Amino acid sequence: MTRLKRNVRLVFIMFCGLFLSLLGYLTYFQVYERQKLIESSYNRRLWEQEETVTRGTIYDAKGRVLAKTVEENGAKKRVYPEGEAFGPIIGYSNKKLGRANLEQALNGELLGISQQDPMMVLRQKVLGVSKGNDVYLTIDSELQNKAYQLFRGRRGALVALDPNTGAVLALVSSPGYDPDFIEQMWESLSKDENSPLLNRAVQGLYPPGSTFKIVTLAAALESIPDIESRTYETPGHVEVNGRVIRDYEGFRPGNYDIKRAFSLSSNSVFVKVGLEVGKERLIDKAIDFGFNDKISFELPVAASRFPRFSMIGDDVELAEASIGQGKILTTPFQMAVVASAVANGGRIIKPYIVQKVVTPLGEVKNFSNPSVLKEAIDVVTANKIREYMVDVVEHGTGRAAGIKGIKVAGKTGSAENPHGKPHAWFVGFAPADNPKIAVAVVVENAGSGGTNAAPIARDVIRYFLMNGK
Amino acid sequence: MDSREEAIYNRSLAAMALVGFLSFLLLSAYRKPLDFLPFYGAIAFLTVVFVGYFFTGWILANSDKFLLLLSSFLAQLGLIMLCRINPELFKRQVIFFAIGVAFFILVSFFTKYLLRLELAPFFYWVATAALLILPLLFGVEKGGAKNWLVFDGFTFQPSELAKITFAFYLAGALKNGRITSLPRMATEILAVVGLLALSKDLGGAMLFYFTALIVIFVATSRADILAVGGGLSAILGVLGYYLFDHVKVRIEAWLNPWQDVPGRGYQIAQSLFAIAEGGYFGTGLGLGRPDFIPAVATDFIFSAFAEEFGFLGAAAVVLMYFLLVYRGIRIALRLQKNFDILLAVGHTVMFGMQIFTIIGGVIKLIPVTGVTLPFMSYGGSSMVMSFASLGVLNGLWQRALEDEDDDEA
Repeated sequence: MTRLKRNVRLVFIMFCGLFLSLLGYLTYFQVYERQKLIESSYNRRLWEQEETVTRGTIYDAKGRVLAKTVEENGAKKRVYPEGEAFGPIIGYSNKKLGRANLEQALNGELLGISQQDPMMVLRQKVLGVSKGNDVYLTIDSELQNKAYQLFRGRRGALVALDPNTGAVLALVSSPGYDPDFIEQMWESLSKDENSPLLNRAVQGLYPPGSTFKIVTLAAALESIPDIESRTYETPGHVEVNGRVIRDYEGFRPGNYDIKRAFSLSSNSVFVKVGLEVGKERLIDKAIDFGFNDKISFELPVAASRFPRFSMIGDDVELAEASIGQGKILTTPFQMAVVASAVANGGRIIKPYIVQKVVTPLGEVKNFSNPSVLKEAIDVVTANKIREYMVDVVEHGTGRAAGIKGIKVAGKTGSAENPHGKPHAWFVGFAPADNPKIAVAVVVENAGSGGTNAAPIARDVIRYFLMNGK
Repeated sequence: MDSREEAIYNRSLAAMALVGFLSFLLLSAYRKPLDFLPFYGAIAFLTVVFVGYFFTGWILANSDKFLLLLSSFLAQLGLIMLCRINPELFKRQVIFFAIGVAFFILVSFFTKYLLRLELAPFFYWVATAALLILPLLFGVEKGGAKNWLVFDGFTFQPSELAKITFAFYLAGALKNGRITSLPRMATEILAVVGLLALSKDLGGAMLFYFTALIVIFVATSRADILAVGGGLSAILGVLGYYLFDHVKVRIEAWLNPWQDVPGRGYQIAQSLFAIAEGGYFGTGLGLGRPDFIPAVATDFIFSAFAEEFGFLGAAAVVLMYFLLVYRGIRIALRLQKNFDILLAVGHTVMFGMQIFTIIGGVIKLIPVTGVTLPFMSYGGSSMVMSFASLGVLNGLWQRALEDEDDDEA
């Protein structure tokens, strides 16, 4: 073959490469870029859709309307019948202010533009459907309202999950706002010191305080074989490298086994336990429970932070970390996941808030398939922690969460913070032997968790078990 | 001709007619009240295809019929989109198509019989340069580039014809397998590219430059020229970025169209939205929004097609263009004389690069440069000259077959 012809073949190979790159890029585009562009706010198809399509309705788990679009004097208007408790979770869809929270996150579904099935799209186009999809949440609006009222306007948040499925039963952030008045109230809401526009349940980062002892306990039970037969003698405080960490006022010095120390939330004992577990295993356990990782959820969840290996410089920092102080920060959402993992035999189930989506033609897209993300702890450890948590409510710091006739498991926390009184925490689940609901409650700067957060959790659990299901 | 081969051709022709009738019927029905324009257009179009096809078979028996089949199929897809976008353009494009097919036959004929008279390459260079200077002197600006001539309301884009003369120039200058005088050749090529850049036809400048580079490499096997040429293009690109605002805008829109969607990123963003909307199967003919895409009838017709026919349709179009390039290469490999081979390669490379440039541009693989998509974009010059280009390839193919027969005899 002449050199000329060889070169012609090279040219052909070059064209093979060029055309393959066209096809490759088109494929890449379809797989990775497409959805983002369809939902881009610059896409004029979206604006058109907004004008011509009636935005879908948002329902709660029992079919009560949370947001719907109505015609008023020929103009479309979005209304939110359930009021203040729902602002931080449903958000708003407003021409002037844009969209927020679930109205934003579910925009594609509500406008009916994130349909994947091409036949469905074609049928709607041919039939001239001009309505978006309806979305059914897992939220129980009565429970949500009840929980919101229990905060009485104080700053705080509550997350309630179904530990068996991961369904979010309530997601409260207090103070809230009524999305019906978002436009009139915008000025005052955005300047309010209590930041009602912030969804504390998923975006608020707090030190977890003693509720984190669940994680320390899990690490200890798994790594120190004889831990349950040991007793720790404590004078009511412990000194680590010159820093003194105290137990709470009224804690009596003496001999405690680990279960009793957990029940009474002894800082001095748990510092010792934490130091023995060591930073590597404590970090690993925190990560097993989902710290330092983004939880994928319909609403953006701030990643909870546990200090990484290099950030725990000395024993003082490790000591603080083992009782949930220092550099740890967590969302109420994350702590609800921790409680529900214990309730569920150690498995972390992916939390979700959208139960199903119904298209105007009646097709149902179901999203309520529980999926196990990972195993945080093994079943044996989970069952022990459950037993310990029941003891907290029956004989320990969490007695205010006790309900007659129902075995409640829980853990209190009073998280020291630079903004004033401790944040009151309670995480737990019930009924302990067959958990139906897992909750995490935080009330900002309210004081002790046992007296300020536990009662809220109790009322929510009781209300749900009496009225729910 | 082999009867099995003939059956394949006939089946392709039937498939094309079927797609055409269905699509145009759909378009007729879709317009309310019922509009017969698409239907008549389809009949006119298919008549031209059949007449052209059988006429070619009759007077030029050894034609490469796939050239005509593939290009007509692509033209048909373009016409379907045009009919849906703007019926006025559609009517005119049908006429351009008919002229194009006539040119295909004419140029095939000329190439086959008259090409024996090889003119001096310098003559082709002068013709190319003259064609490119004309619009600079007397031309009008359209879509940002000053490369149009107007006679009595009839517009013509001389750079389309220059593509053909340029390929002849390259083949003539390089037929001995070496460059007689590198400085002279470099000056001549850069002058042509410079003229295109002056008329702000960046896509054209790029096409001519890379075509020259590749044909030089094919003729001389000199990788050093390829490397230096490649380096030079990078330098020119960077210089252009800083010197010319319109180059800068294009490149910035490519790197990050989302920074300024209402402004410089507008075109490419609208194109990408359309392709995204199409998904794998497309929205269906008539159900997309080509009206959102700027320059949709010309440069961005591929995006509108991808929206309504989806990834599958778009990929099919890319493959059809690839088959055309493959036919061009196949013809080059069958030829004997250096001049003929280089001429076939020149046309094929020019054609293939143009397709890569515009499709790559509208899907944001490379920066957008305003060149047309041959056979599909609206435009008489592009349509007629693309067919003429295929005519050259077809003429060369017949010569190859004749030479083989002579050798055997």
